[in-house]
Amino acid sequence: MKKLISLNVNGTDYEVAVLPNRTLTQVLREELDLMGTKEGCGIGDCGACTVIMDGRPVNSCLVLAVQASGSKIETIEGVAQGNKLHPVQEAFVNLGAIQCGFCTPGMILTAKHLLESNPHPTERDIREAMSGNLCRCTGYQKIVEAVQEAAAQIKS
Amino acid sequence: MLLLPEFEYYEPTDMDTAYSLLDQLKSDGKIIAGGTDVLVNLKEGKIHPGCLISIARISGLSAIEKKGTEVVIGSQTLAAAIAESELIRVEFPILSHAASKLGSPLIRNRATIGGNIVTARPAADLIPPLMALGATIELRSKGGTRTLHLEEFLVGPGQTTINPNEILTKIVIPEAKPFSGGDYMKLGHRKSLEIAIIAVASVLTLDETGKTIKDAKVILSAVAPKAIHAVSAENELIGAEPTPELFEAAAVRAMSDCSPISDIRGGSEYRKEMVKVLTGKTLLNALDAARGGK
Repeated sequence: MKKLISLNVNGTDYEVAVLPNRTLTQVLREELDLMGTKEGCGIGDCGACTVIMDGRPVNSCLVLAVQASGSKIETIEGVAQGNKLHPVQEAFVNLGAIQCGFCTPGMILTAKHLLESNPHPTERDIREAMSGNLCRCTGYQKIVEAVQEAAAQIKS
Repeated sequence: MLLLPEFEYYEPTDMDTAYSLLDQLKSDGKIIAGGTDVLVNLKEGKIHPGCLISIARISGLSAIEKKGTEVVIGSQTLAAAIAESELIRVEFPILSHAASKLGSPLIRNRATIGGNIVTARPAADLIPPLMALGATIELRSKGGTRTLHLEEFLVGPGQTTINPNEILTKIVIPEAKPFSGGDYMKLGHRKSLEIAIIAVASVLTLDETGKTIKDAKVILSAVAPKAIHAVSAENELIGAEPTPELFEAAAVRAMSDCSPISDIRGGSEYRKEMVKVLTGKTLLNALDAARGGK
């Protein structure tokens, strides 16, 4: 039997009727048409499905939509302000940290969250904070550099 | 997409309702906390509960508090919260450290200490430090409350002595003895998102002169169906003077205290060799910590 849940996603309130076995990833993509959140592995091993839930980055593939009822969710669609990219997004684009782009939404959300709580991360801090987000294309180097660049940009 | 099978879902907001649900549903009802184990097992078809009962909306289960000399951790406390807790960092750095090694930062933001214990994987990260610290757990049901040490609770991979109508509510850690210190080391192919190939948690308690080991706990994980004491290593250490030679001897003893299997993460001989290496290293770090080094 479906349950009525409320989600605040990127500042907008939604009410959706969902079956208990629907994950947050599925509901974001299929009920709310927010396709930026990807499903990579489905078991919390890759981070492609990363969203910020009540201030913490989580694997949305391992959150039941019913568990997320009442929560504040931020997806990749909420990062840019209209056409204005966030410094993290700018840096990813400018420094070649995006190849196929599949890991990118998760990477950007995790990086943005890191910089909000630690504005001057060391390289080690960055690699550690982003260790739940896998990339098969870039070898991570440019992603790390993009986060460092974003930190510098935000600082100035 | 990896799909979940269908199930009923309940979200009690108080313990009595939760107990009643478990009583009614018997083994068809499964508690879901963070869900990072339960949902994976459901997706992979390893478990088939008809109903999931979330206890996430029951208040009072996720505090970290000092009560008298003990530290009490609610079963719903996130692994991330344990890793971030100043109280845990100061009182039990070994637990703080182990919590920071569980899964990944994303997993730690959902996984709970209660879930890690009840799921009882042989390589669970929070269990070895809790055993080395002498922690007890509280299990509650409609019928009452019982308190167990982890050694009595764990049976084998995914198996514990929990009754189907019980909920793990809190973990109690007794005050750290003076002149004690510990370390947890986890071996993995990578530094994150790893199930331990093996892991060792060592806690040493010295006498006030620092020249004799009063007590030693060496817990090995991922080398047996559940985390175990390296009994002969512990016996080698207790009453002896802490020296690198002693630790080497204890590390060799630890190898004989376990019979690891070969699986996709490593061969049995490699695991045994690594038990020796990690036991030696954690003992050296534990000694350092016991002497106030950390």
